[in-house]
Amino acid sequence: MSDRIASDQSVPSEVFDPEAPDAVPAASVETPTADRHRRWRLIDLWATVGPLAVFIILFALVSILRPAFLGGGGLSIVATQCTAILLVALGQCLVLNVGSIDLSNAAIALFSAILLAKTIGPAGAGGLVLVVVLGAAIGALNGFLVSFFQVPSFALTLGTLGILQTASLIISDKTTVYAAKSGLLTPMFGSAIGGLVSAFWTAVIIAIVLWAMLRFTTLGQSMTAVGLNETGALFSGIRTRAMKIAAFMFSGLLASIAGIMIIAQAGSASSTGLGSDLLLPGITAAIVGGTAITGGITNPINVVFGALTVTLIPVGTAAIGIPSEAQSLVYGLVIIIAVALTISRKRVGVVK
Amino acid sequence: MANLVTQQPPDKSVGAASPVAKHRRFELRSLGEVGALVVLIVVFAVLNPSTFLTIDNVRTILDQSATPLIVGVGATMVILMGSIDLSVEGLMGAAGMTFILTTANSRDSADLGAGSFALGILMGVVLGVLAGLIHTRLKVPTFIVTIGFWFIGLGIATVLFGTDTIPLLPDGGLKAWPNTVFLGLPFSFWLAVLIVAIGWVITRYTKLGRFTYAIGNNEDVARSNGISVNRIKVYVFAFAGACSGLAGILATMRLGAGSPTVGGGILFVTVAAVVIGGTALSGGKGGVLRTMLGVMILTVLNNGLILSGVSSSIQSGVSGAILIVAIIVAAWPLRSRLRITK
Amino acid sequence: MTKAVTETDSAQAGTPALKLTGITKRFGSVTAVNNVSLEIRRNQVIGLIGENGAGKSTLLKILSGLYEPDAGVMEVHGSAVKFRRPQDAVAAGFGVVHQEQSLLTNLSVAENIAMNALSSKDNATRGGWYRWGQLNKEAEGILAKVGATVDPKAIVGDLSFVDRQMVEIARALRVDEMTGTPPIVILDEPTSVLERNETAILEREIAELKHVGSVIFVSHRLDEVRRICDRIIVMRSGEIVADRATEGVTEDELFQLMIGHAATAKKHDVQARQSGEALLDVSGLSAKGKFKDVSFALPPGHCLAIVGTIGSGREELVRALFGAEPFDSGTITYRGKRLQSWSAVQATRAGIGYVPAERKTEGMVGGLNGPDNMAIARTGKKFFVNPWRERKAGAGWFDTMDVRPRDTRLHLHRFSGGNQQKVVMAKWLKSETLQLLILDHPLRGLDPGAAETVNEKIRGARDGGTAVVLLADTLEEALEMGDTILVMRDGEITASFDLTVDTPTTLDLLEKMV
Repeated sequence: MSDRIASDQSVPSEVFDPEAPDAVPAASVETPTADRHRRWRLIDLWATVGPLAVFIILFALVSILRPAFLGGGGLSIVATQCTAILLVALGQCLVLNVGSIDLSNAAIALFSAILLAKTIGPAGAGGLVLVVVLGAAIGALNGFLVSFFQVPSFALTLGTLGILQTASLIISDKTTVYAAKSGLLTPMFGSAIGGLVSAFWTAVIIAIVLWAMLRFTTLGQSMTAVGLNETGALFSGIRTRAMKIAAFMFSGLLASIAGIMIIAQAGSASSTGLGSDLLLPGITAAIVGGTAITGGITNPINVVFGALTVTLIPVGTAAIGIPSEAQSLVYGLVIIIAVALTISRKRVGVVK
Repeated sequence: MANLVTQQPPDKSVGAASPVAKHRRFELRSLGEVGALVVLIVVFAVLNPSTFLTIDNVRTILDQSATPLIVGVGATMVILMGSIDLSVEGLMGAAGMTFILTTANSRDSADLGAGSFALGILMGVVLGVLAGLIHTRLKVPTFIVTIGFWFIGLGIATVLFGTDTIPLLPDGGLKAWPNTVFLGLPFSFWLAVLIVAIGWVITRYTKLGRFTYAIGNNEDVARSNGISVNRIKVYVFAFAGACSGLAGILATMRLGAGSPTVGGGILFVTVAAVVIGGTALSGGKGGVLRTMLGVMILTVLNNGLILSGVSSSIQSGVSGAILIVAIIVAAWPLRSRLRITK
Repeated sequence: MTKAVTETDSAQAGTPALKLTGITKRFGSVTAVNNVSLEIRRNQVIGLIGENGAGKSTLLKILSGLYEPDAGVMEVHGSAVKFRRPQDAVAAGFGVVHQEQSLLTNLSVAENIAMNALSSKDNATRGGWYRWGQLNKEAEGILAKVGATVDPKAIVGDLSFVDRQMVEIARALRVDEMTGTPPIVILDEPTSVLERNETAILEREIAELKHVGSVIFVSHRLDEVRRICDRIIVMRSGEIVADRATEGVTEDELFQLMIGHAATAKKHDVQARQSGEALLDVSGLSAKGKFKDVSFALPPGHCLAIVGTIGSGREELVRALFGAEPFDSGTITYRGKRLQSWSAVQATRAGIGYVPAERKTEGMVGGLNGPDNMAIARTGKKFFVNPWRERKAGAGWFDTMDVRPRDTRLHLHRFSGGNQQKVVMAKWLKSETLQLLILDHPLRGLDPGAAETVNEKIRGARDGGTAVVLLADTLEEALEMGDTILVMRDGEITASFDLTVDTPTTLDLLEKMV
């Protein structure tokens, strides 16, 4: 507390405070050396184009090793498979941006898919609306519980995950639920622009909208501030609890859209089928896409490349000859490496 | 884990509470949990008089509680430090597959006898140590490292599982061991009790255990008190890895076959049990005996519900709901507008 | 006492326990400790007093091995020593009780006492195994030595602050067991967290310690210092200005020594400010354990400076005004409306700004650049944000506040403290709706240039009609900036000076503060 520091007045921290872990001696900031400037700008540059570069490198690698991949419409396949992961990753990156984590969003996606499969026949577009509203509501509930009861988000969303798993099992009666053919959804995977399915472009557009939201709205800027320094944000008059609820709500909303895409793609949903393992790829995609695990740093457009990269991993690993059984292994390694590389080691205090 | 990454400064006003009041509150809480267990037992006994309180069902409950108990001991120690271990299912799978492929099985001719137990546990320890090292050296938060190792473990297990025939345990012998009754209760339960006892002794009588509590309370203060925090963390993850490994072996024996997903669903039950038992996710408070209480509550609840005709798919839902309630109840007395949880 | 002590006793009778000669410590261009020389004998209690910034804290850190002096010699019991790390100080017999708690609150008293014990063959925790019986017994012995009545099995978190201090002292005393030399115990503001009635216990404690070794007692409570200590050393601006036996010295003399030459009243041009209707009216405000029955009225265009030492409650008071901390009873009337519950969000919307003391954790968002930091305190209702306009406005404020370097893209944590503070101030000053600005130690850690700029802006805001509540670091600052000065001590207001009529000196203020 401030009381304690009062007696440290003899050490003007401006000049040099050995206690401050990242004290910058006044001189070097007043007149930054060319070196420091260059290094800082380089980190900045990497943050902006890094994920794109990683994807291009990986794609190039795969194309070289498996020329058939490129010829056989590889990019288009990747885009198709990437859509659901991308949507889940976008939701996750917003939650990571406020400094929390949502372990339930993949379950929301699956639940939405199953629910939609059951309702799209009888209710048509109403089913779509229901699913989206429900997804957002579940997300908002997550956010509300986390912020008002001050419980750790990973534990709370783990609980929500369990409840949703049960809910999915119950309403699907433990089997695959088939959706009635609906004209509403066929264009998603039925039509393509530039060789890539419309569903993918839809997700990309959503990513751009989110990017704009973060940059050009009070909501976005406030959420980012909360992720960087929640107390500092609070003392600047930001409604920190509302911002967290908003982030979780977006996560739920985007997850339900992912669920819609699952139905659009497969025409059916089951607890063990397509989309049942979106959680880890979603988190990985967000992180590989440059989202900081500590909060406050994210770029939805880069998350697109992160998702493409993550989708490419199974193809890439097969291309290098790693058996498909080892896929989980690769995912696990990628997520650890991605975080280890991007975490700012100097600034973090105690890591738990 | 109150914070994903950083720790909260200790609350200065806490010491003002009188010792008597604090003690009473503590006891009330424990009584609450024991009471809940008793209530559950009574309720289900009333609902299913002929099936719930039979000797067979009691053995079933105890047998079902064995795996989460063993995992829970390791998980408790990790959580006491203020960290989290999400890798348990992956490690169980990897250890289980290692075990079954090195003991007498239907796929290959290896039979290392007791050695296969050692290897299985070793697999768990190695993965645990690696996770601990990555966390302490590279400063990667434990929930990321352990999510990673969840999938690394699963990957190793899947690779070992391969595309060959499913490795099966021969009938009798190891396969029947978990359920074999000894002094009226199944061996699996006795094994779990042994592990709980070991865990309790560690947390109560060894530097490793006491320092674990210290780290969970305040890592900076622990360090300034001369505790080698990084070393203790790695040891604890090694121990947790061993627990997961042993649990994987037990589950594989019970299953009678090798399966990479032999640990499926354990994460929920374990985390929920730890929290329900009263161990704080922020660290420094709780213990293995409390986790045992939590496991029993959940196991009895699940068993009772199934006997009452409720579908088995509700298990994760029930665990999830109770987990949520438990963390809210635990966090309630600490509420303050300036408190940050992530 | 261990046997070793009596042996060295006769050999070194007359040798001071601690002797400092010409100790100097510099940080960049600032000399925190300047040519300090002193002697402490065995079985003596020395009081170390001085204002904030006098150099006490740095000196203590040198003694406990956290800093190495740039010049000078340290001798402990006659032999020269050089401390490179805290362990070296412990090995030399120094036991320090810092202001920050260093106990593990979830473990027992005995465990905490045993925690730092150097390992030895008959240690209660040798081999990694805890022998509770022995552990508790050893702890009992150490506690008895200082006359503490704390149960070694009690959990530290359940203890009152007094008891925790006892445990800390017992721990500090452990050095005796370990090294065999009479310990030198350093107590850094041990009473600041205690209630007045609890300090009697501690005073008795320290009297006990005298028999065992030497004590250095740092405190701002002069009455305690005079009661407990044999000699008093006064520091000012990094130097020792007095080293006297307690008997010959009066409190007034001590005050004078702490402040320096005749306490001059820094007269400044205080125009009788337009005393309009009070913008802020506080009545009987209380928060249990923090402050009690605080009342004052603050009109617009007026600067209220609140002075007080550690534990005065002034920090908690202003945070309650901003809605950052709760209060239990009393009323706050702001712009005519009585406030029930109050939050930081509401306060900001109502036109109140707060510059916190903890800049890094509360005042700014280090990961954002300057203009973004200024922009996040949004009082309007606009949904859309124009980054270019905000960047431009930010650049304008960079000029106004003279923030260096003029880089609007640089993240704020890369700026020096003074420049960070300027940005934090700009955050509030730029708002057209700002009516009340609360500043909590705004000049802390700022170089004179930045401090002057900040003060200029504060005055500018006040002249422009904003009401200001200022928690000053130094009394001079308060006298220079304030139109009214409130003095707080132990949670209550002890004096109020209206600078249009009164002309208090720093001495007058200090008297009411301690």
